Amino acid sequence: MPMPRLALSLLLAAAPLAANATDYPLRLHNCGYTLTFDKAPASAVTIGQAGTEMLYALGLGDKLAGTALWFNAVQPQFKAINDKVPRLADNDPSFEAVIGKRPALVVSQFEWMVGKEGVVGTREQFHDLRIASYAMPSDCEGKNNLSGADGTRTAAYDVNALYKSVQQLAQIFDVEPRGKALVDELKQRQARAVAQLQGSKLKDLTAALWFSSADLAIDPYMAGQKGVAGYMLQTLGLRNIVGSAEEWPTVGWETIARANPSILIIARMDRRRFPADDYRKKLEFLKQDPVTRHMDAVKNERIVIVDADALQGSIRMVDGMEQIAQAALKLQARAR
Amino acid sequence: MHPIVRILLLTGAALALLALAVLLGVAIGETSIAPGVVWQVLANQLAGAGYPVDPIDQGIVWNYRLARALVAASCGAGLAISGVILQSLLRNALAEPYLLGISAGASTGAVLVSVAGLGAGAISMTTGAFFGAVCAFALVALLAHAAGSGGLRNGAQIVLAGIAGSQLFNALTSLIITKSGSAEQARGIMFWLLGNLSGVRWSDTLLTAAVAVAGLAVCLWHARALDAFTFGSESAAALGVPVRRVQLVLLLAAALITAVMVSIVGAIGFVGLVIPHAARFLVGVRHRRLIPASALIGAIFLIAADVISRTLLPGQVLPIGVITALVGAPVFAAILLKGRGGRT
Repeated sequence: MPMPRLALSLLLAAAPLAANATDYPLRLHNCGYTLTFDKAPASAVTIGQAGTEMLYALGLGDKLAGTALWFNAVQPQFKAINDKVPRLADNDPSFEAVIGKRPALVVSQFEWMVGKEGVVGTREQFHDLRIASYAMPSDCEGKNNLSGADGTRTAAYDVNALYKSVQQLAQIFDVEPRGKALVDELKQRQARAVAQLQGSKLKDLTAALWFSSADLAIDPYMAGQKGVAGYMLQTLGLRNIVGSAEEWPTVGWETIARANPSILIIARMDRRRFPADDYRKKLEFLKQDPVTRHMDAVKNERIVIVDADALQGSIRMVDGMEQIAQAALKLQARAR
Repeated sequence: MHPIVRILLLTGAALALLALAVLLGVAIGETSIAPGVVWQVLANQLAGAGYPVDPIDQGIVWNYRLARALVAASCGAGLAISGVILQSLLRNALAEPYLLGISAGASTGAVLVSVAGLGAGAISMTTGAFFGAVCAFALVALLAHAAGSGGLRNGAQIVLAGIAGSQLFNALTSLIITKSGSAEQARGIMFWLLGNLSGVRWSDTLLTAAVAVAGLAVCLWHARALDAFTFGSESAAALGVPVRRVQLVLLLAAALITAVMVSIVGAIGFVGLVIPHAARFLVGVRHRRLIPASALIGAIFLIAADVISRTLLPGQVLPIGVITALVGAPVFAAILLKGRGGRT
């Protein structure tokens, strides 16, 4: 009897979906708050590119009523959907610009945007208006955003915070299978990048990662040990020459040049807040400065240019790890 | 001892002391470089000795540390003699370069470039700071001049105009920073506003040294007039000092010295306030001695502050203004308390 068999196979196919469907009302813990959702939010505003692209990757672009805080151009695969979403501001949007979109949910990448002292607003301000707020665990778990200019990591960045944000957002919007698939893909790609390097003979590779500088020649913002970039280097098996536990400490060029890292990674961004935001100016400085031009990485052009978004707690982090791994492999091939 | 021999001996001793301070500034840094290597680098550069030295060490000693020590010395000397000029002309023990609103203006200029994006990355914070400083001083001078028929003759007017100017430019700086609201930006600017010598190179050394030497020469040229101003501008006029012209020249000198120094290394506070008092304590109030002594002590003080700022926390450089303020604030308080006895 074909009909019962079809019904059975349909039932089996639907089983995983059914098992993963969100049970509303959904209660979840997020950065010190307990959120309750009676149903999937009808619309959301994202503040921060990491959350925006995460929702695009989960196929939720049509739910977005607005976005803000962009470091770089959107990833090419999301351009079509992104063109349809209003950009409220390139940097921080005003509180009213966000609530004017009447979102059911606000997803913020950084607590300094939406948090206890958020420049856009506090989470209570949104909750008072019955707008749920979600802060990315990457920015709040193991991190105190009320101390230090950029917040202080109390524990080293844990990639599980990234997976958690994907899974929780998928849960909130009732698309859990997509969340699981995305997390699996991220895990697999990262494992591949790490495995590529682990097989290599370059065990003693050192690295330094230059984000930007307040002015071109002064002490640059470098990746410290506990932040996302520090995690990337450590996971790939590269020794970060910057010993500071801070996320983005300022480190003197004297210290960096003397440590003479095997690979120098520099961030590329569309932002033009400081002259050193332009990666070409960074390269020019490195090649012209009387000290840095003698560094091995500069002399031998072992400089990797990575998008600034890949250095955040975002799904692009894996792109950055893949790029750095590729560069290290090329270095190995040249060394042979 | 013949006065000329005495002056030559004293000058020689002062220069030797300064050279020692510069040497210490070159020898001590974020990372440790053996004294022998430092010596070899200096011998290579100054005498073409040809020692085989690691090019990175060579660059650190010659391009980073020596340039930095010389800029610190020039800035310390420049800010200190600006302080001497202002304290004497305005007859106010608490006068210092920043009183003229110059520092506040420099900060606004730097913030306009880095936060508001003025110049779209083509103008550096240094250039912005210089224009901000000059604009602020021009505004303060105009205000003081317009404030009364006496113009600059009355020290109180320029002090009040300076306070108004500082408040205005500080408010503008706060407005721009608040509007931007980025933690990273605020950190970058705070680092710069508190003073920072990490970015200085040889081109800055030449500029700051030239400005310090020129400032020193102008002040020494007017040393007798400055002595006369200690008793007030009317007494100075009675002694035959062309009051208006001298005031204008010296105020412009103090303003330009400060504008250049602040634009290169940021707003380093308290040097102009504290050093003249320390020098007065050591060599007395006569400007022929006070000016070179202030310049020397200022230079050594700032080199020492820079060395401390680089070495106090391992692996991290503190803004030099933090160090100068930690020393300067208690001295400022002591002067205030001493002034309670009726000293102006």
